[in-house]
Order: sequence, then structure tokens, then C-alpha cells
Amino acid sequence: MDKLQRILMVEDDPRDAELSLTALDQYNLANEVFVVGDGEEALDYLYQRGKFTTRANGNPAFILLDLKLPKIDGLEVLQLIRADDALKFIPVVVLTSSHEERDMVASYKLGVNAYVVKPVDFHEFVDAVKALGMFWAIINEPPPGSVRRP
Amino acid sequence: MEHVGSTTSVRSLIRRLAASSSAGATRTAAPGEPTTARVVRLAGPYVLSTASVGLALFGSLFLQREGFRALDFPLFLFAIASTVWYPGVGPTIVALVLSSLAFDYYFVEPRHSFAVAPSDIPYFVTFLLFALMLSRFSVVRRRSEQQLLDSREQLQTEVAEGKAREEQIRKLNEQLARRSADLQAINTELEAFAYSISHDLSAPLRHMVGFTALLQKSASSALDDKSRRYVATILDAANKMGQLIEDLLAFSRIGSAETRATTVSLQQLVKEVVEEMGPETASRKVSWTIGDLPVLHGDRSMLRLVLVNLVANAIKFTRTREQAEIELGSFEDERGVVVFVRDNGVGFDMKYCHKLFRVFQRLHRREEFEGTGIGLATVQRIIQRHGGTVWAEGTVNGGATLFFSVPRALKR
Repeated sequence: MDKLQRILMVEDDPRDAELSLTALDQYNLANEVFVVGDGEEALDYLYQRGKFTTRANGNPAFILLDLKLPKIDGLEVLQLIRADDALKFIPVVVLTSSHEERDMVASYKLGVNAYVVKPVDFHEFVDAVKALGMFWAIINEPPPGSVRRP
Repeated sequence: MEHVGSTTSVRSLIRRLAASSSAGATRTAAPGEPTTARVVRLAGPYVLSTASVGLALFGSLFLQREGFRALDFPLFLFAIASTVWYPGVGPTIVALVLSSLAFDYYFVEPRHSFAVAPSDIPYFVTFLLFALMLSRFSVVRRRSEQQLLDSREQLQTEVAEGKAREEQIRKLNEQLARRSADLQAINTELEAFAYSISHDLSAPLRHMVGFTALLQKSASSALDDKSRRYVATILDAANKMGQLIEDLLAFSRIGSAETRATTVSLQQLVKEVVEEMGPETASRKVSWTIGDLPVLHGDRSMLRLVLVNLVANAIKFTRTREQAEIELGSFEDERGVVVFVRDNGVGFDMKYCHKLFRVFQRLHRREEFEGTGIGLATVQRIIQRHGGTVWAEGTVNGGATLFFSVPRALKR
């Protein structure tokens, strides 16, 4: 059985993913992150279907969700997660370059836990991702059914 | 002209002739009227009146011979009355005279002579007066008919003009609606463009900044001084680009942002702004002179931005002074309500004053003073949206004064 990672990162840009992982690494969280590149993969992972049928049971402690994704985009993924009883309590943090109000409003309407705009300044970016990792993966008690902290 | 309908060809002939002469007994020819038509028009009525008298006469004589009750008098009156249809009193008088003569000759004793007995005179006089009254009625009737026709024509012209005007207005409105729709479309396009910039450009920029910073961290020990400086320059330039993009986006949003106009006390706003700038000026000696500032009807957050930019500039460019002196005041002139911000800072050369308000235009090198050069362009855009203008005066090393005016109508 494949190990269930505590953090699911849904990010289509590999460079952004790398930068985020570097930041999370400062709290030794990098090796607890599973990265998927689009909305379809994210849902497959969560439902343990497609290529993830061998994943261990349970939910990630939290999800870092980009909005602009190929195939199924971030807001739709969020909507589906919130509509499913088994998944709806997973904390979702939207991490996106868009600071357009309509995206923010839509995300909050769908029940996102946090909305973070990726800063252009690298240090700020690192600080933001670190803070998110620290809070949601370490300080916060994840909902029942989530993988426990080692 | 409504005639009593008649099917006899004589009557229809009379009607047609009368219609052609009803345009008025004008002696002058109508434009393009051939001579024969003119002759017909002028002489027609007279011929007709003579003919109707002749008809009445022969009718009476015939009926008399056949033993009918004398119809002479009514028939002659009939003939005179029928001339009422023709324009002009001429035909009526002709009919009257001919009728009187015929009546006298054929029907009044002594017959077949023009002699008139004194006892017959009142008869003839009454006959005459009656005929004259008829012709008078005819004139009046014709005049009022003409007036009716004229006013109807006038009305028709006015209605046509009105319709033409309406049509023009409708066309202009259509044009306006089309232009509005075009502008709306362009606005939407621009907004989408701005969104695209903010989203699509920020990602590669973030990567540039991020990976250069990572490079700096991981390779600084392996790099010599020159390479380290290169890396630092790349990082710096990338950061600067991010700042420029943000500034440009904010600036472009001013043009399309919704304004909410309320009563804004500039006095109050300036106080807030100066307080905000407190930290910047804490370590320096700044003397503030704030005069009476007007209360305006405008968008509070935009006007605040104007003051922030102007005051920040004043503070920035007086940084080299031992004692910075910043003055704010207002006055009114033909431009409207004018507000100014004056400082004793490094000033500028007046020959560049037209460049001052351009986007990203700076008059100083970056080492001397920081900033992207968007502050004054922002001020100008905002003031333009309020219907006013901006301008500046300054001397090199002698300070600068920035003015903005708004229409007097905005003063409260």
C-alpha cells in the first residue's frame, strides 16, 4: 500500500510546486507532500481511483489548491470536495496568483478555509507557504479520518 | 374642394374647370404654366358664369312655353349662386348683370325691352342686393377655405419637419447606443487584459525572483564577487519589474474604477494623510503649513490617493534639506477651486514640466530618489476624472509647487 501523504498539493506549474516544496522543506514538511498536476488527478487521488487505487485509506491533513488548473479547474474541485460527505471536512487552502475579487468571492462561497495570493516577492512567498504548512499541517488538528502526524 | 356630386357630363366639366381655377383668381402665371392653361384659368370662370346665365334663360323660356309655372326668377338666382364656386367676384357680377338684363328683357313688362318701370325698381334692387350678398358670402367662404388649405399645408409641413427631427434624434440615439456598446466592449476587453497581465505575468516573474533567490542562497559560496553581483542585479531587476506591473495595474484600474461621490473635507483628509506619514518624517525636521482647504463633492478614496501622492512626493524630495517646509493651501480662480502643495525640496527644471505627469516618467536617477514615476500620473488621472486639471511650477533646487483644480461646481 502506498503511503498517504499529509499534504495534497494541486499545482499545475512545476516551478511553483518546486518553490513551494522548498519553502515547506524549511519545516521538514517537503517529504509529506504529494503533488498532482490537475483537477482530475486531485479527485482521483482523493477518491482512491484511477492510478491511486493502491493508496492507503484516509484523507490528507490539508489540501493546497491552485485555481487555474487544466481539465478540471480549482473551483470545481473545491465544489466537488465540499459536496462529498467523506471529503468535505478536509481543510482547503487556495494558493493562487489571482487576486481578482471574483475568484475570492467564489472560493469563499464554496467554503474554502483560506485564500492566499502567491506573492511575487520570493521571501514573502516562502514565508506564506511556511506559515500555511506550519499552521495546517502542524498546529491544526485535522478532521477525523485524516492521516495522523507521525 | 367638396362639390355636390353630379353625374351629368356638364356638371363634371364645370367641376373640373372650377377646380383648375380654384387656386385663386391670381392674375400672375403660376411657375411653368403654359399660356393656354393660363387663359383657361383666367377666362374660364367668366365663360362659365355667362353659360350658366344662358342656361337659366333658355331653361326659363322653355319651361314658360311648355306652360310651367314661371321659373325665371329662381333660375337666374340659381345661375348667380352657381358662380359662387368660382374664385373672384368678377364672374358673379357678370352673372348678376346678365341675369338682370335677361330677366328685364324677357320676363318683366314690357317684354322684349330694357325699360324698367319705377314700381319695378325695388324688385330689381332687392334682386341686386341678394346677388351681392351671395357673392360676398362666396368671397368669405373662399377666403376661409383658402385659410384652411393654407393652415393644413402649414401643419403638414410642420408635421413633416417634426418627423424629420424625430428621425434624426432616433438616428443619433442609435449612434449613441452603438458607441456606448463599443466603449463597453473595449472596457471589458481592457479589464480582461489587465487581469491577464496580473495573472499570467506574475507567475514567470515569481519564478525568476524565487529561483534567483534560491541560487543566491545555494551558490553564494561558489561564486566570486562579480558573479554574486550579477545574481543580485538579476534579483533586483525582477523585483523592480514586479513593482512596475503592480503600479501599472493599479493605475489602469483608476480609469475604470467605479467612483462614489460624497462630501469630502480635504482639510480632514490632509490631517489623516500627514498623520500616516508620521513614521517617515519622525527622524526629520518638517514644518507643516496647512491653510484652508475646501470641502469637495468627489470620490473620497481617490482624492485621498491624490493627497497621499502629493504629500509623499513633497516629503521625499525635501529629504536633502535640513528643515523641510511643506505648505498646503487653496484659492479660486478662473480654473475653479485650486489646491496646491508646495515644498522647498530639490525642485525641477521647468523645461521638463510637461513630462512630470507622464506614466513612469522620472526626472531623477534611481540612486537619488526611489519610485517608479507613477505617482503624478495617478494624480492627473484622478483629477481628470473629477473634471479638473493639474500643473506644476518649480525651479532647480528651489522647491516645487504642485497644483490641481476642480470645477467650482464640486465645491461644497
